Amino acid sequence: MHRRLLSPYTKFDKFVVYVGGLTMLFLRTITWAVRPPFKKKELLYQMKKTGVDSISIVFLTAFFTGIVLAFQSAYTMRQMSAEIYIASLVALSMTRELGPVLTALVVAARVGASITAEVGTMKVTEQIDALETMGTNPIKYLVVPRFLALAMMLPLLTIYADFVGMAGGLLVGVSKLHLAPTLYMKKTFDALVYKDLYTGLLKSVVFAGIISIVACYEGMRTRGGAEGVGKSTTLSVVISCVLVISFDCFFTALFYFMF
Amino acid sequence: MIKIHNLHKSFDGQQVLKGLDLNIQKGETIVIIGRSGCGKSVLLKHMIGLMDPDKGKVFVDNQNVADLRGKALDMLRMKFGMLFQGAALFDSLDVYGNVGFSLIEHTDMKKKQICDRVRQALESVDLTDVENKRPAELSGGMKKRVGLARAICNNPQIILYDEPTTGLDPIMADMINDLIVRLHKQLKVTSVVVTHDMTSAYKVGTKIAMLYDGRIIAQGPPEEIKNTKDPIVRQFITGAASGPITNNRNYNYK
Ligand SMILES: Nc1ncnc2c1ncn2[C@@H]1O[C@H](COP(=O)(O)OP(=O)(O)OP(=O)(O)O)[C@@H](O)[C@H]1O
Ligand SMILES: [Mg+2]
Repeated sequence: MHRRLLSPYTKFDKFVVYVGGLTMLFLRTITWAVRPPFKKKELLYQMKKTGVDSISIVFLTAFFTGIVLAFQSAYTMRQMSAEIYIASLVALSMTRELGPVLTALVVAARVGASITAEVGTMKVTEQIDALETMGTNPIKYLVVPRFLALAMMLPLLTIYADFVGMAGGLLVGVSKLHLAPTLYMKKTFDALVYKDLYTGLLKSVVFAGIISIVACYEGMRTRGGAEGVGKSTTLSVVISCVLVISFDCFFTALFYFMF
Repeated sequence: MIKIHNLHKSFDGQQVLKGLDLNIQKGETIVIIGRSGCGKSVLLKHMIGLMDPDKGKVFVDNQNVADLRGKALDMLRMKFGMLFQGAALFDSLDVYGNVGFSLIEHTDMKKKQICDRVRQALESVDLTDVENKRPAELSGGMKKRVGLARAICNNPQIILYDEPTTGLDPIMADMINDLIVRLHKQLKVTSVVVTHDMTSAYKVGTKIAMLYDGRIIAQGPPEEIKNTKDPIVRQFITGAASGPITNNRNYNYK
């Protein structure tokens, strides 16, 4: 008790150390990522694990979100007899905002948690020490493939989520609001400009970096057996979700003022 | 080969090593004995640079381990083979991937050559046809032996064994002792063996050192240690419950 009170580290110090640690890990990952040898097989395996295996959960999330968006906006639009604008509303919200953010949150929970649990278990069972004793850098061997895989797969998942969400909207528009499918599609694509898509994708690349770096960092600082792995897994998901949302806020404001 | 000078290490205020000095010559097999929790594994981790000293220095081949970074540290570590106390096998790889790890990662050897080397290493710990099993499918003793095969697979000059015979049946334990002796005789490797098993200690050691209270309190050839007058060492090697090590503790359970 006394020790804790007298501890020289305040919460703020710990925060600074944490952010510094994340930044260091990020910079090291980048330097190792561009340095040969490149592990294609491991990268492909990670891409499958993070990307391909997340398709169904991203599908469900985006599809239902598209449906909900359409219904909720129909509620307001109907009063102005402007139902047709639902198409553009769904398209814009999905590509600019909900596609990148929801996909990132779902992936943080699914992939981020599994990365932390795996790396954390390796840490507490001394497998990371063993890697080092065999002259293999754990960042190169563990972090780089996961980082690159997520940086490539999250934007792809986001594009997929964008279209699935619009399909959800289309379903509501056509079946419940009796809009013509062709008209709905036309309105959707009229509303979209390239900027909507690529600002969304830019966000998702950043989110991918956040998720993989936080997950690996939490994994590598795990201590204390199975309980420690549980703790760091929870922390990893919580921190990456909070960071995803705060960076989203920052980028949205930035893009708003820039363009 | 390995020189440790005035090594201090503490964790959260708990002092584990308190000024430890130890010299390990090339080609010798030094056995480190000591009570559970006295810092033997911590000592081994300092030798290979997994932990940095709070104070003091560890030299391997005249290089200060704590000064080395990146490539230089990796080069130094490639001279070592290490058997971890808990084996520390990679769960995500099969036995072949584990044992052949450094050959696969750091050499251009052909798959066939690596397979041969892996098979040899596994045979020397009396394992056959396990290459395609995952660590989770192995028994505790098998894991330990795979860990040992991994430690010796890339022909290291220095091998650190953290309790190589714990968890093995007596026959297997003796085979491992023979293996350690053989590596010492034939390949002239330098070995550091941490163990509680006194039979094994007398058999494999060219020198035995006792770690107690953060320091090496006695060292010498097995014969000398066996006949020591030092009461602390005597208590440990004879395995007596009462003696100077346990005397300062009160057993007032009632
Ligand atoms: N990473 C660590 N963090 C905190 N404390 C540690 C750490 N590693 C070791 N210790 C502490 O250092 C002391 C010595 O640990 P060590 O593992 O070296 O014991 P040991 O001599 O190998 O025991 P055993 O024979 O049971 O394996 C223990 O009290 C342990 O609590
Ligand atoms: Mg130990």
